[in-house]
Amino acid sequence: MVPHKKFWITVFIIPCMILFCIVYAAPIISVVYTAFCDYNISTPPQFAGLKNFVTIWKDESFRKSIVNTLVWVLLQSTFHVTLGLAVALILRRKPFGWTVVRTAYMIPNIIPTAATGVMFTLLLNPSFGIIKEISEVFGITPVPNLFGNSQYAFWTVTATWIFYSGFNTIIFLSEMGAVDNQIYEAAEVDGAKPWQVDWYITLPMMKNIFGTCVVLASVAMVSQFDILYVTTRGGPGTTTLNLPMYLYKTAMLENNYGKANAVGVIQIALGLILVVLIQRMFSMNKKEQGE
Amino acid sequence: MKKKLRIFCFCLSLLLIFGMVACSSNEPASEDKPQNNGEEKIVLNVINYHVGTDYAAEYYAYLFEAFQKTEAGKNVEFNFEEIPTTDAFNQKIKLLISSGTLPDIVLNGGNNIIQMAAESGKVADLTPYLDADPEWKALFDETSLSFNTVDGKIYGIPVSKEISYIYYNKDLFAKAGIEAPEVAFETWEEFFEVCDKLLAAGITPIGMDTADAGWLTNLWYSALIGTSNEAGETWMNTMYPTDYNTPEVLEATAKIQEMLQKYTTADAIGGKYDPMATHFFNEEVAMFPNGPWMIPDFKNEEKAAAGFYDKVGVMLLPEYGMEMVPTPGDMVGATDPAKIEAAVAFLKFETTIENQILALEMTGLQPVSNNLEIPDSLIESDPLMAEVLELQNFAKVTYGQNQAYWYQNTIDEFSINLPELAYGNMTPEEFCTKLTEAALKNA
Repeated sequence: MVPHKKFWITVFIIPCMILFCIVYAAPIISVVYTAFCDYNISTPPQFAGLKNFVTIWKDESFRKSIVNTLVWVLLQSTFHVTLGLAVALILRRKPFGWTVVRTAYMIPNIIPTAATGVMFTLLLNPSFGIIKEISEVFGITPVPNLFGNSQYAFWTVTATWIFYSGFNTIIFLSEMGAVDNQIYEAAEVDGAKPWQVDWYITLPMMKNIFGTCVVLASVAMVSQFDILYVTTRGGPGTTTLNLPMYLYKTAMLENNYGKANAVGVIQIALGLILVVLIQRMFSMNKKEQGE
Repeated sequence: MKKKLRIFCFCLSLLLIFGMVACSSNEPASEDKPQNNGEEKIVLNVINYHVGTDYAAEYYAYLFEAFQKTEAGKNVEFNFEEIPTTDAFNQKIKLLISSGTLPDIVLNGGNNIIQMAAESGKVADLTPYLDADPEWKALFDETSLSFNTVDGKIYGIPVSKEISYIYYNKDLFAKAGIEAPEVAFETWEEFFEVCDKLLAAGITPIGMDTADAGWLTNLWYSALIGTSNEAGETWMNTMYPTDYNTPEVLEATAKIQEMLQKYTTADAIGGKYDPMATHFFNEEVAMFPNGPWMIPDFKNEEKAAAGFYDKVGVMLLPEYGMEMVPTPGDMVGATDPAKIEAAVAFLKFETTIENQILALEMTGLQPVSNNLEIPDSLIESDPLMAEVLELQNFAKVTYGQNQAYWYQNTIDEFSINLPELAYGNMTPEEFCTKLTEAALKNA
């Protein structure tokens, strides 16, 4: 019976694997190969060794894009995920209006990020945005140019996504819902205070799903693009430049596909390293094996 | 029963896969349509960005339709893919150059991609077609054709010329007690004195922007460089410059820094073109550099208040400067001889004298041919446009602008570093060095 089952599992996986090879594996192989080539819009790829990697490493903008990407990964995997968890902990107790809050907190995650970017550029426009009115109320002159001034741009862009952790909240809530209620009842009988219940029961049980959320948040930051494209395009200067934006500019403005693919390879490698590190940090594989 | 279900599911999965693979074919759908055999239709693929609210959408809709009513176009059908905005269009075309799947007619999207397309070998050499029709070739001057020539071969048919000058708001000038010059401010000093007067009257003197390509700031910048001296004029007429640390460019950069800090709206830094145009339409800004394609907007009551058209005057840039560049032309990406013939026929139709004048009337696109007789009807219906046409004759210095002459990554470097320049986080020398470094990446 078991070998028969394995056969059918294999049969059903084959179409998916074929799709994976066409959609992901073949392009990735192509990207990795052409990353080692001289390849631009008008010439076919010609092997050039490590030239592209050396060139980008010497580029100050590239190094800045790596730093910015890592800072965003760090912020997203700590503050953003923790915020989602904190909101979930509050909502778990089902306070008054919790369903409304849960839905409202999810709304920003439903709005397309490009639309969010446009919305923020209008709201924060120093000539006619709401920021002008707010600044006038508080007597702040001149009105700060939050996207245009490199003094504020990085944190302004970050603020357009970092507080919207509704997706994580939903994941945590579903995990919390799976915790056996008898554990909470036992804690209540033992006289545990609400914060003790959270600290000693709920949070330890969230470890695995926290790791999953951190992986998702980190990977999202490694590939973050659309909101940056709409708001700052990596500027002013290189203030908000990250790896995908650097890749985009190398491919579309320099028309240097070999160099852009070298950036792509580094981006993929960075994503994989982060996933492995985070999984190890949260001992996610061990847990699965234990199960 | 269970086995049958499994086999059915498996077959369904395979069908799905094959379906998806078939759908992903990169052959245009129209390839399946009949080719030119006698009276059979020729289908030309066109990616059109003149759609939606584009200033030339109505004109191009007419153009494609009218061509099909001509003898040369009666057997032609168009298969359109619509891509709003030139930015998205240019990106798509570049990708298609790389993949070798260009549309049969490649409209020009503003960026100069003639060289890239020609070097890729994916566009047709149009020289034999022009040589075979001297009357058609005579419509274009040498400058316009050489702008579209790579290695002695003409790859693009220019459809217009690009010019720009200053629009000013007569009411705001009057409010500040300023009398506008008939043609241009004699010097930049005079121009800045007027800016100071406007400021003193509580009026923002000029429209500028930095985002996307920093179009408006680029027009001021080009003028400052182009009118500085002979070296500046030559530099501003040079294709793909790589040295930005010249005295003229440095001086212009310092002026631009001052203009961004002192004479424009708060949202210019980091701002895009559209909100800046809105400032001009809302009479919040006194002077605005741009081309004639903006004129129809002055009458558009969705953009400007009724009567705004009559408040607008035009003048050349200080020191009688005017940006004037040939446009990168439309290209032919078809490979099938019959399709190439049909595409060339469309380009001929697009550049007839009648259609050049119609384009001027409908869109403000300046005719590529010189000395066209402008109909009286235009002078009556659009006096501002007529004034623009007249004004061009007084230009003493003409020069290019960055979107036509610079490398694209250098235009981006210009745009993203302008805010740093404006806030004093970067000196003009550092700014110019950044541009030089960016340009050299293409070498």
